[in-house]
Amino acid sequence: MDQSELHAVEAHCTQEAMPRCRAVCPLQMDVRAFMEHIAAGRARDARKLLERHLPLPAILIAVCDHPCENACLRRDLGGALAVGALERHVLATTPPQTRLIPRPPRQQRLAVLGAGLAGLVVAWELSRKGFPVDVLHEGDARDALRRSYPDIPETALDAEWTDFGKTPVTFLSSQYDAALIGRLRQEYAAVFVDMDAAATLLPLQRDDVDAATLHVEGNVCCGGWTDETPTGARLASASRQAGEGRTAAITLFRLMTGASLAASREQENDRRVLHTPLDGVASVARVLPAAAEYDADEAAREAGRCLRCECLQCVRECAFLERHKEFPRTYARKIYNNAAIVKGTHTANALALGCALCGQCTEICPEGFSMADLCLHARQDMVERGYMPQSAHEFALEDMAQASGPESAVSRPDPATGRCARLFFPGCQLAAARGPQVLRVWRFLRERLDGGVGIMLSCCGVPAFWAGNTPLFDEHAARLRADWESLGKPELIVACASCLDALARALPDARLRSLWEYLDDLLPEAAPVADAPVVSIQDPCGARHQEGWRAAVRSLVRKCGLRGEDPRRSGTETACCGYGGLVWNAQPDMADVMAARRASDLPHTALCSCIMCRDRLARQGKESLHLLDLLPMTAETSAAGAASRAPVAGLSARRAGRVALRRDVLAEYGETPPPPEAAALHLIIADEVLARMEDRFILRQDVQEAVEGIERTGQKFLEKESGHFVGSWRPRHVTFWVEYAISDVGCVIYDAWCHRMWLPGAMQPGKEI
Amino acid sequence: MSMEPNYGPDAGDWFCARCGERLEQRKVQAFYMNSAFDVLLPRCPSCGLTLVPKSLAEGKMAEVEALLEDK
Ligand code: SF4
Ligand code: SF4
Ligand code: SF4
Ligand SMILES: [Zn+2]
Repeated sequence: MDQSELHAVEAHCTQEAMPRCRAVCPLQMDVRAFMEHIAAGRARDARKLLERHLPLPAILIAVCDHPCENACLRRDLGGALAVGALERHVLATTPPQTRLIPRPPRQQRLAVLGAGLAGLVVAWELSRKGFPVDVLHEGDARDALRRSYPDIPETALDAEWTDFGKTPVTFLSSQYDAALIGRLRQEYAAVFVDMDAAATLLPLQRDDVDAATLHVEGNVCCGGWTDETPTGARLASASRQAGEGRTAAITLFRLMTGASLAASREQENDRRVLHTPLDGVASVARVLPAAAEYDADEAAREAGRCLRCECLQCVRECAFLERHKEFPRTYARKIYNNAAIVKGTHTANALALGCALCGQCTEICPEGFSMADLCLHARQDMVERGYMPQSAHEFALEDMAQASGPESAVSRPDPATGRCARLFFPGCQLAAARGPQVLRVWRFLRERLDGGVGIMLSCCGVPAFWAGNTPLFDEHAARLRADWESLGKPELIVACASCLDALARALPDARLRSLWEYLDDLLPEAAPVADAPVVSIQDPCGARHQEGWRAAVRSLVRKCGLRGEDPRRSGTETACCGYGGLVWNAQPDMADVMAARRASDLPHTALCSCIMCRDRLARQGKESLHLLDLLPMTAETSAAGAASRAPVAGLSARRAGRVALRRDVLAEYGETPPPPEAAALHLIIADEVLARMEDRFILRQDVQEAVEGIERTGQKFLEKESGHFVGSWRPRHVTFWVEYAISDVGCVIYDAWCHRMWLPGAMQPGKEI
Repeated sequence: MSMEPNYGPDAGDWFCARCGERLEQRKVQAFYMNSAFDVLLPRCPSCGLTLVPKSLAEGKMAEVEALLEDK
């Protein structure tokens, strides 16, 4: 990703765009922060903000037409915030907060022709930068303002004129004549013509000059036009005139300092819309002052009605986005900077690795921001350039290898006919957790479909894809392709939504259809059941864009005599259970938060069509069913209640489950592979010990291997009182430690832990240093 | 980066099962990703077999491993 791509990505997130009030203010007054200060009783900060944003604050606040109020999102929810009245309140009740710092005088002098609001803003802005400014006016210096703003209080005029006295501004009464501009152009470094007070001298309309600079030609700028109402009346918009004064002041400054007039001024005119969700926002009526103006308490209450407009729609839904405390726009920059680090810590690795790549944010975001793309590309870059943390996805990729290796994988045509019009692809997690159901549903498909239904037990490769390991994914895809082609390129019947996605990438020329669509075709419509039990349908994130999948699931639920209810955020907006993107491996605690949060979205028993959704929700204590628990050919028990509380197969059991399913599948072909060798030591592991081990990604098989190895070498420690042994084993780049005792019935495991560091003395006696 | 220097066994009275010697805190080295650390660990004074207590493996060691992996 380069800078311009980053900007393109960032642009999709509007969270840093201005609230509507600020976006329509020609002076970009930070109304939201102003409101926040007042609501919190921080009047001084509020005043500071006014002074920072508004030129001639006393005058402007008295006459401003407040376009912010028209734009305010509160408008239809109790009435727009009383921005003008609150500004007046702060100005009247809080002393000035910024001191005027005299600047060293500059050489170039500026002429302002006409003491209208725009002209005075130019004088105000540039005199504060040290430029001597001569304001040429007809009649009294304050007449132009009094003419355009008849209600302007004299006190406001006095206040600002006092301030003018402290800056290098000189008011010169003069006669406007046709040659005046020409003379001033010679005498002064730059000239500003106020199009309200001195319009007669320059026959230009707004549309005649570039709105971004208000540059006329040479060293002349103009601005501050009046508007014409539909009835032809002349009307001065104070905000617009002041805004033009500021725009012109910037141009004039650049003119006098020799800078480019137009470069890098995008921000001045940045009017991107900040999307602000209003659902659930209650209407609150505007607070009216008891007297003519607000007192502090009324002001605080009125300001408290501000919605603090912001987007964060994706952040509110996604636990991962929320965890990192910011929002996609800043995440994009962090991930971009992370990639640029050569020496030092990659502080945003955790960001790139915590996303489930589920795509929910893209659906929710009004601008379609894709955090998944961002994080996936980051991972691909991490793998390619060698800074992917070793441990992040190691377990998941080993699991993928086991699921696709000789002990679990098989790829065969229909056992009865040897034909293979279709190929059942259950997916490695369903195979791991639900072998007997996989077998039964395959038999059902074979009975009911013509042309032969083969089976392929393997991982689809999605873990490699999620890990950003493109070479591994491609290599895996090539192996899938070889098997698929040798079976005659059958149509694939797929039981996992993530597999569907991965297979579409691996075998783009294959016809793919979900198992549920097949079963829905094959199963008869059932009579509607009165008082059907209700389940909450959990759409897997992989089925976000699989409409056929989602419709078939709902239809099957109905055919099974249940009433499926869509929870909040379902269908295309569904949320991930934490399995997606390998978060369960890289950041198990993050994945658990995702699962818990999703579980809390579902009011009834969860009905899942993805085994990982089912198991991850069930692990959170949520009653959850897999669709196979309901279907007539696969239901294990007639009591859905029992199935919804059925325990979740752990990581060790899943591996064993794959091996067992392969044996069962081969049996359909009349083959019986030799039984696995009996273990040298019989392990006894209590459920809670195994669960703790598996939380650390230590499998029963790892412990088996470790204890056997330790017992062979005799290198172990003994705790005298308990008789427990501890020893270590390092089969690859992880050292496993096991605490155990040997008894007549076998080897009792008390605990196991692991680390990746290498200690020479831990495995075989080493030298002291 | 450093690891707190001294880690005893988590609990109990530990001996080298082969030599029968009681373990003593001795300085050993641990390696990870081109970094080396000195650390005091329970070790058999006779054969040198060294124990990594669980609290170290899951505490400081895991922390340092994660830091190094993000380098
Ligand atoms: S939904 Fe999220 S990514 Fe989209 S604009 Fe809002 S905060 Fe930004
Ligand atoms: S609610 Fe507050 S932030 Fe939103 S537009 Fe109104 S004043 Fe601005
Ligand atoms: S986990 Fe899903 S919703 Fe959250 S950022 Fe990643 S892709 Fe978006
Ligand atoms: Zn020893």
